[in-house]
Amino acid sequence: MAEKNLTAAAGAGALALERVNAAPAQTWNRLRTNDVTLTVPARGRAGDVYFSLPRLFEGVECGMGPEVTAWVESQAADARYVEVPRGERRAEPIVVSVASGAGEVADTGVMVREGAEVTIVVAASAGEKDAEAEGDATAADPAAAPATSASLLRVIAEAGARVTIHEYLCPGADAQHLESVGIRAGRDARVEVRQYALGGGTVALGLAADLAGDRARFDLTQRYHAAGTEVLDVNEVVRMRGRNTRSELAYSGVLEDAAKKSLRTTIDLVHGARSAQGNEAETVLVLGDDVTNKTLPVILCDEDDVAGNHGATIGSVSPEQLAFLASRGLSRADAEELFSRAVFEDALMSAPCPEARAVVRGDSPLESSEEA
Amino acid sequence: MADQLLNVSALSAGTEDKPILHGVDLAVGAGECHVLMGPNGAGKSTLGHVIMGDPAYAVTGGSITFDGADVTELTSDKRSLAGIFLSYQAPVEVPGVPLYSFLRTICQMRPELKTTARKFRQRVGEIADQLELDQSFLMRELNVGFSGGEKKKIEMLQLLLLQPKLAILDETDSGLDVDALGIVSRGIQAYREQVGGALIVITHNTRILERLSVDRTHVMVHGHMVAEGDASLIADIDANGFERFERALGERDEACVDCPGCPKAGDAE
Repeated sequence: MAEKNLTAAAGAGALALERVNAAPAQTWNRLRTNDVTLTVPARGRAGDVYFSLPRLFEGVECGMGPEVTAWVESQAADARYVEVPRGERRAEPIVVSVASGAGEVADTGVMVREGAEVTIVVAASAGEKDAEAEGDATAADPAAAPATSASLLRVIAEAGARVTIHEYLCPGADAQHLESVGIRAGRDARVEVRQYALGGGTVALGLAADLAGDRARFDLTQRYHAAGTEVLDVNEVVRMRGRNTRSELAYSGVLEDAAKKSLRTTIDLVHGARSAQGNEAETVLVLGDDVTNKTLPVILCDEDDVAGNHGATIGSVSPEQLAFLASRGLSRADAEELFSRAVFEDALMSAPCPEARAVVRGDSPLESSEEA
Repeated sequence: MADQLLNVSALSAGTEDKPILHGVDLAVGAGECHVLMGPNGAGKSTLGHVIMGDPAYAVTGGSITFDGADVTELTSDKRSLAGIFLSYQAPVEVPGVPLYSFLRTICQMRPELKTTARKFRQRVGEIADQLELDQSFLMRELNVGFSGGEKKKIEMLQLLLLQPKLAILDETDSGLDVDALGIVSRGIQAYREQVGGALIVITHNTRILERLSVDRTHVMVHGHMVAEGDASLIADIDANGFERFERALGERDEACVDCPGCPKAGDAE
């Protein structure tokens, strides 16, 4: 829930970031779904000397908005720049690991040169908690920010590049994670993103993809699970500028208990993007009586010869599905657990590296013997 | 007859507003193969679903005994765990659940089938090969986007994995091409050979029966069980159709039309 982090005057060492994850096209304010305000720690960095990304990355739009970008740049111990040379197929994934318990913040820029290929993994886990520091801060000031991790990832994919991004997000139960991604795709570039939001106190996730080159393609699959009082806030924007560009956005998730989720997805068919096509679809399974689910799917269109579709399916397990699953030995409770487990099992099966697998195992209901 | 496994006695059932089955009797011995035939709308699929405990249907009379226990009031999941399996005519799509996760879960529900992930993967792989099912299907969502033939193969995969004592195959052959029908038939044959379970095959097509040794044949018309015989009845129906059974039932119903509160009122659809 975004509201729980609202603070009129953040405590000492804390900062309120406003208009985070703002949807490009706003709806009624009373729906409280246009954006979110987050309270984050603000550590003084005066006198520090650290590396910044090349200025080229400043022009890459990021999903969570400029305030988060500025905050991450001010808080990250260092920026990491990786360049994949022209035509190279990089076998080793680029891994970004952050732990909410340790309050880690990462600022990463990846330049994928023409025809190159790379896999990028962001793994955000609960990690070790600095218990003493945490306890002191909270006791002294209830308005202090919760333990916070963040990752700012900016990717420039030049013509014909192939980029696969895996995001595995599961901060601690009382912690929050900010995940902001910006992608610019050149001509014939192909970007595939798989996101797994597997719970944690608050996960705020934003992604902006700029399909600047003709025939660029963007595919995004997001699976999420939130239970208890967990909060998931998502804002994803695809700017389709090039001709014949394609984007496919597929979301599916399970919400239990009193979980709260807001999803804003926007496909922006910009003037000149002739023959561009974009689709977005979400399937939400609601398993709790106190769940709050908000979905804001938007297609913006300023070009005639384009196609954009969106849809959302929200509901519980259907009687036909329950009857079918019962005929295989699953009670209603077993069936509902199957849907939740499936998110984690899919995440585990798709995990490309040990860091990603560790995030899944850290908070999953999967048996430890499962991999035996 | 072998030891009795299933006994359906004077079973009447239907949906909330329509009676479908009228006093149906059916007895199946352990390891036997029974064929259930009848024209469209006879209530064959309904009988299969009622035996399975589908909550879409309510039992209004009679009883179902399975493996020595009265299961009439048991929920479908408990009947499944007791050893009854129903292969759906149109398997339900379950988005969000990968086939592999589903298979793993339904096996883990049964103590006798619990095993390590490694052995399970091996077992599933063997059966998938046997059914000529691409193993990449295991990562796809359950029944989502599969062709009719692929869905039926996945039903057979579950049958061979779960090894039930009784399998009810509800028109498993419908919508299959010749090659797929051959593969599914071999799957059913493997179930009989490896598990030795009993079968109730609901079908209009005798090709699926070519590889099976049929013990009894039953004929349903308008929710009534109207005839029973050995395997030769299948050839008879193939040659002459169901007309004589429908006519006989019509004459029987005319004879009792004056009977007030007749339980035979209402037809299956």
